[in-house]
Amino acid sequence: MTSLHFELFANLERLAGTNACVVEAGPDVHSVADALALLARERPVLAGSLERCACVSGDTIIRRADPVPADGRIALLPPVAGG
Amino acid sequence: MDRPVLSHDPVTVEPLLELDAHPECGGLALFVGTVRDHHEGKSVRHLKYTAHEPLAAKVIREVEASTRETFGVPYVRIVHRLGDLAIGDIAIVCVVRSAHRAEAFDACRHAVDAVKHGAPIWKEEFYTDGSSAFVEGCCIRDDLDDSAPRPHRHHSHTSHG
Repeated sequence: MTSLHFELFANLERLAGTNACVVEAGPDVHSVADALALLARERPVLAGSLERCACVSGDTIIRRADPVPADGRIALLPPVAGG
Repeated sequence: MDRPVLSHDPVTVEPLLELDAHPECGGLALFVGTVRDHHEGKSVRHLKYTAHEPLAAKVIREVEASTRETFGVPYVRIVHRLGDLAIGDIAIVCVVRSAHRAEAFDACRHAVDAVKHGAPIWKEEFYTDGSSAFVEGCCIRDDLDDSAPRPHRHHSHTSHG
């Protein structure tokens, strides 16, 4: 089992009631898409908001097809509204 | 390159203008976005900006650099405020210095739009009725496939217009 650490921003944080959550992943979780599918199952309240989120590792946007970052940390960024 | 592009403190415009530099420039375009007291018919009391700061800073620096290159202007400076803001507070400043006015106007507009659409910054509005909401914005995923709804084209970007 590997721990996946999701960092939640803006409306995701509001939905989850926390700015971070940890999900234990089995050996079948390889890609970012796999990680998000797992998160959607484990935290159904977030499921409907994940499609429009960008995933970030460090300061870099990663894609759904990319492997899960080595440190297991993924920031979930919902649609932005600065300015 | 270490000039701050995100500020948790109130933003002061004057130092960002660099009026004592850039003697080759005859144009200065300035955009200042301030907090408005209404949004889509609701009365806004105050708001809060939050960000994924590492990526937001990177995106804004990239916007500064790409704007300089695209429009051939020597100076582009952007600062976005974070934290709790009152009505009238400065939310974003964009300064462009250039040889002539046309490219200054164009570059300034481009840079502000690019930050609004690309930097991971969120605006949470607090209304006079006691409720609050995050303003619906632009999806910054870059891997939505063509069968999915497009993340963003122009919808109602009414903020600071």
